[in-house]
Amino acid sequence: METITAYALTPEQLDVVQMPLGGPKAAGSRIYLEGPAGTGKTTAGVARLYHMLAAGIPADQVLVLTPQRTLAQPYVDALRRPDRPSGGEPTIATVGGLARRMVDLFWPLVAQDAGFGDPDARPSFLTLETAQYHIARVVGPLVDREGYFESVTIDRHRLYGQILDNLNKSAVVGFAATEISDRLKGAWMGEQSQARVYDQAQACATAFRAYCLQHNLLDFSLQMAIFAEHLWQEPLCRDYLTSSYTHLIVDNVEEDTPVAHDILIEWLGTAHSALVILDQGAGYRSFLGADPKGARMLGDLCDVHVTFTQSFVISPTMAALGDTLSRALRPSPAGTHAVAPADPVAEDVEPQPFSVVGTDDASVATLDPTEVLHFASHRFHPQMLDWVAAEVHRLIDQAGVTPGEIVVLAPFLTDALRYSLAYRLEQLDIPVRSHRPSRALRDEPATQTLLTFAALIHPSWGIVPSKYDVAYALMVAITGMDLIRAQLLAEIVYRPHAGEPELTSFHAIRPEIQERITFMYGERYEALRTWIGACSCDAAPLDHVLARLFGEVLSQPGFGFHGDSDAGRIVAMVIESVRKFRWVVQDLALDRALGHEYLAMVKEGVIAAQYLQPWQEEPKDAVLLAPAYTFLLANRPVDVQFWLNVGGQGWWERLYQPLTHPYVLSRRWAPGRLWTDAEEFALRQETMARLVLGLIRRCRHSLYLGLSDLSEQGYEQEGVLLRAFQRVLRRA
Amino acid sequence: MGVSAVPGSGKTWTLSSLAAKIVAEGALRDEQEVLIVTLVNSAVDNFAGRVAGFLRTYGLLPGIGYRVRTLHGLAHDIVRERPGLVGLSDEFTIVDDRVSAEIMRDAALAWLRSHTDLEDAYLASELDEDQLGRVRANQWPDLVVGVATAITRQAKDLQVTPAVLRYRLDAFPQRLLLLEMGCAVYADYQRALAYRGAVDFDDLIRLALQALRLDPAFLERLRQRWPYVLEDEAQDSSHLQEVILRELVGPHGNWVRVGDPNQAIYETFTTANPRYLREFLDAPDVLALDLPNSGRSMQSVIDLANALITWTTEEHPVQGLRSALGEPYIEPAPRGDPQPNPPDDPDQIRFVKRGLAPRAEIEALVRSAGSWVREHPEQTAAILVPRNVRGFEIADALRVAAVPSVELLRSTPTTREAAGALANVVRYLADPASARKLAIVYRVWRRDDRHDIAKAEELGAISKLIALCPYVEDFIWPRAGQDWLEALPSDASWAPALQVHLGGFRELIRRWQGATLLPVDQLMLTLGQDLFTEPPDLAIAHKLALALRQAADDHPDWRLPELAEELATIARNERRFIGFAEADTGFDPESYKGQVVITTMHKSKGLEWDKVYLVSVNDYDFPSALPQDRFISEPWFVRDQLNLQAEALAQLEALELNPDLFDYDEGSPTLAARRDYAAERLRLFYVGITRARRAVTVTWNTGRQGTAQPAAPLLALQTWWEEQHG
Repeated sequence: METITAYALTPEQLDVVQMPLGGPKAAGSRIYLEGPAGTGKTTAGVARLYHMLAAGIPADQVLVLTPQRTLAQPYVDALRRPDRPSGGEPTIATVGGLARRMVDLFWPLVAQDAGFGDPDARPSFLTLETAQYHIARVVGPLVDREGYFESVTIDRHRLYGQILDNLNKSAVVGFAATEISDRLKGAWMGEQSQARVYDQAQACATAFRAYCLQHNLLDFSLQMAIFAEHLWQEPLCRDYLTSSYTHLIVDNVEEDTPVAHDILIEWLGTAHSALVILDQGAGYRSFLGADPKGARMLGDLCDVHVTFTQSFVISPTMAALGDTLSRALRPSPAGTHAVAPADPVAEDVEPQPFSVVGTDDASVATLDPTEVLHFASHRFHPQMLDWVAAEVHRLIDQAGVTPGEIVVLAPFLTDALRYSLAYRLEQLDIPVRSHRPSRALRDEPATQTLLTFAALIHPSWGIVPSKYDVAYALMVAITGMDLIRAQLLAEIVYRPHAGEPELTSFHAIRPEIQERITFMYGERYEALRTWIGACSCDAAPLDHVLARLFGEVLSQPGFGFHGDSDAGRIVAMVIESVRKFRWVVQDLALDRALGHEYLAMVKEGVIAAQYLQPWQEEPKDAVLLAPAYTFLLANRPVDVQFWLNVGGQGWWERLYQPLTHPYVLSRRWAPGRLWTDAEEFALRQETMARLVLGLIRRCRHSLYLGLSDLSEQGYEQEGVLLRAFQRVLRRA
Repeated sequence: MGVSAVPGSGKTWTLSSLAAKIVAEGALRDEQEVLIVTLVNSAVDNFAGRVAGFLRTYGLLPGIGYRVRTLHGLAHDIVRERPGLVGLSDEFTIVDDRVSAEIMRDAALAWLRSHTDLEDAYLASELDEDQLGRVRANQWPDLVVGVATAITRQAKDLQVTPAVLRYRLDAFPQRLLLLEMGCAVYADYQRALAYRGAVDFDDLIRLALQALRLDPAFLERLRQRWPYVLEDEAQDSSHLQEVILRELVGPHGNWVRVGDPNQAIYETFTTANPRYLREFLDAPDVLALDLPNSGRSMQSVIDLANALITWTTEEHPVQGLRSALGEPYIEPAPRGDPQPNPPDDPDQIRFVKRGLAPRAEIEALVRSAGSWVREHPEQTAAILVPRNVRGFEIADALRVAAVPSVELLRSTPTTREAAGALANVVRYLADPASARKLAIVYRVWRRDDRHDIAKAEELGAISKLIALCPYVEDFIWPRAGQDWLEALPSDASWAPALQVHLGGFRELIRRWQGATLLPVDQLMLTLGQDLFTEPPDLAIAHKLALALRQAADDHPDWRLPELAEELATIARNERRFIGFAEADTGFDPESYKGQVVITTMHKSKGLEWDKVYLVSVNDYDFPSALPQDRFISEPWFVRDQLNLQAEALAQLEALELNPDLFDYDEGSPTLAARRDYAAERLRLFYVGITRARRAVTVTWNTGRQGTAQPAAPLLALQTWWEEQHG
């Protein structure tokens, strides 16, 4: 092996890294690299990036594109290393990110043509949260007054989410936003009333699009559509991009969308060098529009093709398990399904053999795969969690595995499951992390406290918190205040009247009660109350008020957020959320104060209901609890994996969305073709195979299966994955 | 194949050994399964356990190659596999009966507030103003909710959507007031469910059938998966169950239906009907067999049950009820059978001749059952009641009299105790300054010590002490020099130990108070972890956490008091929880020797005891459709003694079958409902008798008004018995 700065590389990797960096059309400078996970492709990509910089290519001419930010992490980390080649910063982006930058930059060029209502004014870019807010304004009345979607069983926010999703699909797949319902109806073979549902979904999408155009609002779909349909076609913008970035590294191209591929196909033609990396057997973002088949077309434009096959990650026995399991996942010859779909939608997962660096395939075939497989079955779900916690503890305590090398995965994690497991592990002094906090932003006590005070500061809004909310806010806000005294105090001083909340003075209450509450807490309460009273005549925007509340009171000694960095981070996020909301809605004609509107939206769950980013400091060397796909897309192998609820259907289920259909709205689907049970079945099998084999490729040594007869909700389980493991055991 | 099997003939044994044989003999491919469908949750585990047992004797791994489900479980599996096909998202939830009843009630009451025509049409004209006021305030709304519920359920069974029903009503020349109401409430109810992203249990079944019909390829795949369908308790099969299974079996599948038409006891206001099984048995392509031998009961019990069949078929005073029971008669196990009948002892058949007041009936039962268990500690005994309410009263009386007893009623003690314990803690956390509630929490914390007499005394004393704490904050969060715990008399020898003990309790309470800031699911899990150690309890806590989270999401204004109430409702037995309680995972009477099990006759199906008490066998709980009988479903304030549910359902059926012919005649559905109900109660009595192995005592009471008479079949049996035995 040779070393390029810090990276030890195989000769195959080194070949890739050192291929020509050429000029335009130089032979051998456009490389297509594919292989299963764990075979060192991204390492080669990072090393090539170093190689470019070391060779003197200006960093600002290099663009690293990945389909989502987490997948760019190896490149980000590499550029932070002290031993990296010197030079500037290459651009690391997603196609969506580029789209937004270009729309912002070239706005005057397209605003008129794209049909925006006020082309001379600046555009507003919507976040997921603010897009939900606006769509609620447009679609809410249609649902409430016109009886839209009556036959569909779905909660309101998922409904909005799916309408947005349809628009996104049209933008990333590249069909007109007016074709959504025709495509969906063309594939539908169920109950006829569904056709009306699709038409209503179309009407909502159309109405929302018109609303966005009218108000200069750009949700993700509009950013992508304008970039792909207008700006990329505009020589000024295209030349700007292609001449700025002449060296491309495109990683995980199988997870990107057809429109991204279209753009890349054209871009590759002018690039001085390009490295396109495809992960075989992946395509985990298909439900977001990823097109692994289309990604292969990029290979046709590259003059060098390289395939890596041998895993650096898994042990030979794990490879044997992967092979046996992938055979067990194939339907038997006289399978349950008589009719195989003519043209499977999903990337076919013809299993790549599991081979391991330094081991020949024949010797892998002789290993007993069950040696790396551990499992135990239980009656009840919490018993399974106890077992997982005990095994994790044993691994760390006795087998010397570090916590960071253990992940616990499930198809999806309810909050309750996440919390229960984290609690068990913490009881055993095992550090735990999770890719998202265990609570939504609005459920954080600090957030609740701020919002309660926001209502108290603005009595004229007429939002009257319950006395419990006030007691909790006092308990959080005043250092040392316990629940009993907080409730006693709230009971006496909190006096809503005439539909407005009001706090009265501590000094006005009876001395014996004052004594029970204690004068120390009483004084702090008074300081808080006085501040609130003084603030309530202020007409400043809510984010300013909250920032002052935090700075002038809550972060001061004697108050709850003093020295609490977690709470500080949460407060910052809430203020950020309010501010973004203000920017986006300030031009709208609202019939109530903007802060009032914000609080109402939080209550309805439109805002701050997301788990956008972690705000708790997470220990680095900690056991990770995560949904299986989240772990896959973080693309980081570990020593030990635990799979929960292996008996559950979750491993075999795909996301069902009554108003949309990720596969029918894909580019692989011919309009008018019916989506039948054969497709459904094949897709599920393939999706599960891809998921579990992808996980195994990221597991070095041991796999633990948690089984319980009854699910979390108390239902019997009968999983397809469990049966596949039975076949593995039988064959062993 | 169809099999009629008498009580105790070993249906479960036969079906489960058949399932195991199919699996063991290699008739299935890798991904195929034997599908076993049974009626209630309790039977699912029983079956699964038995099949697993047989498979072990074949040297095979249990758990593979078969699937045991109730119809709801099966429907859940089917819908779960293709939710999109029937307009559901993958996150759809299932509301349980209590939530569904709450939504229905809200919808019906909202309708009532703006409509008076229904009461004008149906309330009895002879009511005076006072009566009218009381009825309007209380009974009438309950009745309307009941009728709306029945219409909704039936409409779902008939696969009629609110829109279709609306269309039919608009096209019909007359105004059908009951259906107008039902249709409006049904539509409102479905809208409320959709808003929550939820379906109810009836929807699940309706949608499963819809899914099978919408996509033939899906159906074909399921047919391939389940080449053998075994159905237990087929006499209680509903119309939809039969249709769904018929679809799944298809033209080439194998379907074995086992049941006993004499034990059909789930028909009232459902579409279940033993007729389906009888017709199936008579069908030309069906192999029909009898399982007439039963080794369960002594000869005298068998004679009694057979006499009930004979009386019904030959002498029942109402001609239309003579088919309520029928052949085959029960025959004892053949000579040499490994499970012979217990030795006969006719003295163990007893009829209480005198009608007792309800209270006196309970007292007599407590005395008799108490002495039975004392004298027969190695035998099993049960008191079978016609309704839950009666069961609770008897259970309380047995507890007071310290007779060892076990409840197997609507929801089991495990669920109630776990939910109740959590509710008590949450109630305290909603009112943390209350010393009284804190004392209750202390008792909850130490609830395992209640049964230990010495500890129970100590527990009582300490909880009294806590209840007297003047300021709770001085105990839980004391200021310097104000610690209530330190101020307790320190000279007593027990004082230091008590301080350590209560210090631990204080730490716990502090932690729980801190946890009130968490989302409610996390609070529940925290409490559950601290309170429970038994796996079913922890599983319930987890499930309750999910349920309360859902409730909190549905009602953003709810705080701890409302959530505590929600829990308390569950604790008060009003909500069904699947899967966790012992009753749902196979109740085994043999585990309770020397104790009295109290359960309903419905729940007793499939079980057996040495001694059985049949309680409240009067003409109110067991009417016979005779002119003097009174019926629970015909309230006094409705005109012409109409049974509005029956009338509404008949209208719905007539409208759906053929609006042009509209075969509906007011009053006759009420009469038909009387006969159906009487027939079902007759079979229920038969089920009760056939639970007994060695002894039966039948008692009756004179009812609340003191006017009830012994039920007609009871009188008939008693007379027959006396003729036989002097």
